[in-house]
Amino acid sequence: MDENIILDFQHVTKTFPGVVALDDVSFQVRRGEIHGLCGENGAGKSTLMKILSGVYPHDQYEGTVLYDGQELILEGSAIQKAGEKGIAIVYQELTLVPGMTVGENIYLGKEPVEMGSITWDRVYSDTQKILDKYKLNITPQDIVKNLGVGKMQMTEIAKALSENAKVLILDEPTSALSEAEVDQLMEILKTLKEHGVTCIYITHKIEEFFRIADQITVMRDGKIVTTQPTEDLTSEKLVQYMVGREMKERFPKGNRKPGQVLFEVEDLHAVDPDKGREVLKGVSFDLRQGEILGIAGLMGSGRTELVMTLFGEYAKVTSGSIKLAGQEIEVLNGHDAMKKGISLVPEDRKRHGLVLIQSILKNISLPNLDRFSSFMRVNQDAELAESLKFAKELAIKTPSLFVPVESLSGGNQQKVVISKWLMSGPKILIMDDPTRGIDVGAKFEIYKLMNDLAEKGIAIIMISSDLQEVLGMSDRVMVMCQGRSKGTLDIKEATQERIMTLATGIN
Amino acid sequence: MSLSTLGERFRKNIQTYIIIIFLIATWGVFAIVTKGGYLSSQNISNLFRQMTVTGFLASGMVLVMVTGGIDLSVGKMAGFVSVVVALFQRDVWIQLFPGQPAVSAVLSIVLGLLVGSLYGAFQAWIIAYLRVPAFIATLGGMFIMNGGILLVTGGQTIAANQPVFSAIAQGYLPSLAGWILAAVVVAVLIFLMFNDRKTKAKYGFTPKPIIQDILKTAFFSFLIILYVYIVNQYNGVQVPVLILAVTVIVMSYISTNTRFGRYAYAIGGNREAARLSGINIKKETFMIFTVMGLLCGLGGIVLASYVGYGTIAAGQGYELDAIASCVLGGTSTLGGSGTIFGAMIGALIMASLNTGLQMLNVAPAWQYVLRGAVLVLAVIIDVYFKKSN
Repeated sequence: MDENIILDFQHVTKTFPGVVALDDVSFQVRRGEIHGLCGENGAGKSTLMKILSGVYPHDQYEGTVLYDGQELILEGSAIQKAGEKGIAIVYQELTLVPGMTVGENIYLGKEPVEMGSITWDRVYSDTQKILDKYKLNITPQDIVKNLGVGKMQMTEIAKALSENAKVLILDEPTSALSEAEVDQLMEILKTLKEHGVTCIYITHKIEEFFRIADQITVMRDGKIVTTQPTEDLTSEKLVQYMVGREMKERFPKGNRKPGQVLFEVEDLHAVDPDKGREVLKGVSFDLRQGEILGIAGLMGSGRTELVMTLFGEYAKVTSGSIKLAGQEIEVLNGHDAMKKGISLVPEDRKRHGLVLIQSILKNISLPNLDRFSSFMRVNQDAELAESLKFAKELAIKTPSLFVPVESLSGGNQQKVVISKWLMSGPKILIMDDPTRGIDVGAKFEIYKLMNDLAEKGIAIIMISSDLQEVLGMSDRVMVMCQGRSKGTLDIKEATQERIMTLATGIN
Repeated sequence: MSLSTLGERFRKNIQTYIIIIFLIATWGVFAIVTKGGYLSSQNISNLFRQMTVTGFLASGMVLVMVTGGIDLSVGKMAGFVSVVVALFQRDVWIQLFPGQPAVSAVLSIVLGLLVGSLYGAFQAWIIAYLRVPAFIATLGGMFIMNGGILLVTGGQTIAANQPVFSAIAQGYLPSLAGWILAAVVVAVLIFLMFNDRKTKAKYGFTPKPIIQDILKTAFFSFLIILYVYIVNQYNGVQVPVLILAVTVIVMSYISTNTRFGRYAYAIGGNREAARLSGINIKKETFMIFTVMGLLCGLGGIVLASYVGYGTIAAGQGYELDAIASCVLGGTSTLGGSGTIFGAMIGALIMASLNTGLQMLNVAPAWQYVLRGAVLVLAVIIDVYFKKSN
């Protein structure tokens, strides 16, 4: 038994009714390394990690997993046992209790107890120690639901770290982090490596592998395609391994010519009605027909707040103007925004974009029921016919429209959200981080879709924390910093450095 | 991409089938234990009459629970309406329209609906626009209505058994009318079947094999005919059941075929997503609770007519029966799912249990225990189904 190998997957196979999720998977992870795991949605990465972390106990798969030289047999409360053995996983879907504090969340289920009651002082001081050790910019008393998505993810990681993990699995850890926070995460992982912790790093952002991973394993259709040291690989090769074909470019070329100015925002100020503080402190930009305007900025710069306000569903505008086709308008709420031709694909599709228990059909038609209704009645046949059209156009992979959306992959779920807003025939489509947590293949499809829509004359506002995506897709880039717009760059003059300079407010 | 297969539709409806089977099983058990007495046409007829008030309340409660809310005031609201209507029946209409019981009855109906809607709207406003949690607002409503009942009755029972008005809950259709009604319903079912196939073809969908639709239509037609046959053996189709049937059809239609109904399910399924899809949650909530009030009014009218009196205990505990009916019928306490039809089966189950236990002279205390146990069992089954999916 090689002392250097901490994990040895041997012929692991797992089937679900009708589908083979893992097909004779065999590979090794070296102790103390950062091992990247790469593959499209459905390739089997999550399933494999669920076996490792105990979500699927020992009797639910075939094959052997050797952990630290011994066979890993997790039974009963397998997840807890996996945690006790030092295997911890940080999920893409956040598993925190929003109403509780950071400290309470980190020690949830393992609160230190003295004579039957929880010693809160110890909870908070231990939490502070972890936060300090890994230099995480949150306090133990912060209430989770008030933190942005980025800091929530930090809490998740701290929670995993608090269990003295020997193997830390990170599933899409940077999907909601800004560039600065991604840097921070990389530093944390390097620190962990120094402490001898092994990391399995799953992401769709291929360039991250090259920053941090020692080896990369690529999976496709439940099988291992290859495991190689990072230095032997390139992005192109990785993508080729992942999709099994060459993908020339990450971003499809657009063929559009932006037209007249359609939408103008001038010196917009807005106040959060619940907290009473100003969230938009002067935002100005304009948007032309048929163009894609990228909005870049750090976490907390106010981008999501801006678009939610433009959609009428967040802050109260206190000064400044919004003009649509030259006419000043006031957006009262989401329904009003829709009527005026403004649609919003929200950042968090599960929380804000979809009714998960309902079918694809019902989700697509929800904001659009007006078009199928006469007097009081919803014409369900017309509804189905229209929705089928959009589902086909966006190539949503599903056997039927009556399937509940929660069973779809992230990419397909996002397509459902986009369909629902496309159906309302928007003139302006706002997309907040539209490809978050979606695999390479599906991302490309969404980029193509955005190009098609822009070609048809729809004006698109795209918020993204992925600078490459912003640079790859936008015609112009508006940068925000701390609630203000800092300028709009034409794509020809936009570089990562210039955007970052504006985003950090260093001048 | 195809439409859902028969298998999928079946699995979706399996919960409905289970409760129907449970209902039949309940009848079966009681039939055996009472040596057939339970299945007499008199008993069946009374059974259906007995569930009507709960039925009215449950048909409104479904949408309330679908949005994730609850209304604890429905029992006392129905009770309040029943005593107000009784009061007017006994004292007011006689003065204004002596010797015209039909006019009085109509006025009572209008009055009852008005009172229910008004208080329902008031409560709805508190919940929707003042953002008071429904649980608290309706709990308060329950107390207020209780006080109202005592104020109106002055602590005494009020007779409400005038002609025409009594017919609302105690009247029957003549046999022939019952058969004509059955024939009309069957004709409508057949028409709907063909019409549905026609519109589907119009939109380019291949219709399901006709045998499926025929079986379904035949099944329900059979049930209608069987029902009319049984009740005609006794006194005929019961008027309150007819009123309830119309109400159920209307409420079912609203919940599945109108935007109003769709929005309710969306709000219950994911409130935030519903809001960001442009749904006016305040307006929707307001309307749902107002409609609940209207149905409480209807329930109260039927209650007064059924009992023949406005009593100080009117409506006591009816909210629990209504909620239990909904849950038995598949409405989730978390919101987002539930059908009116299912709630009616649930109400039938509750009434069947009550009637059966009474027939067996089971002590009231045990009746409460059993009714509660059935409710909990229903939720357990519901959770099991949600988990295994």
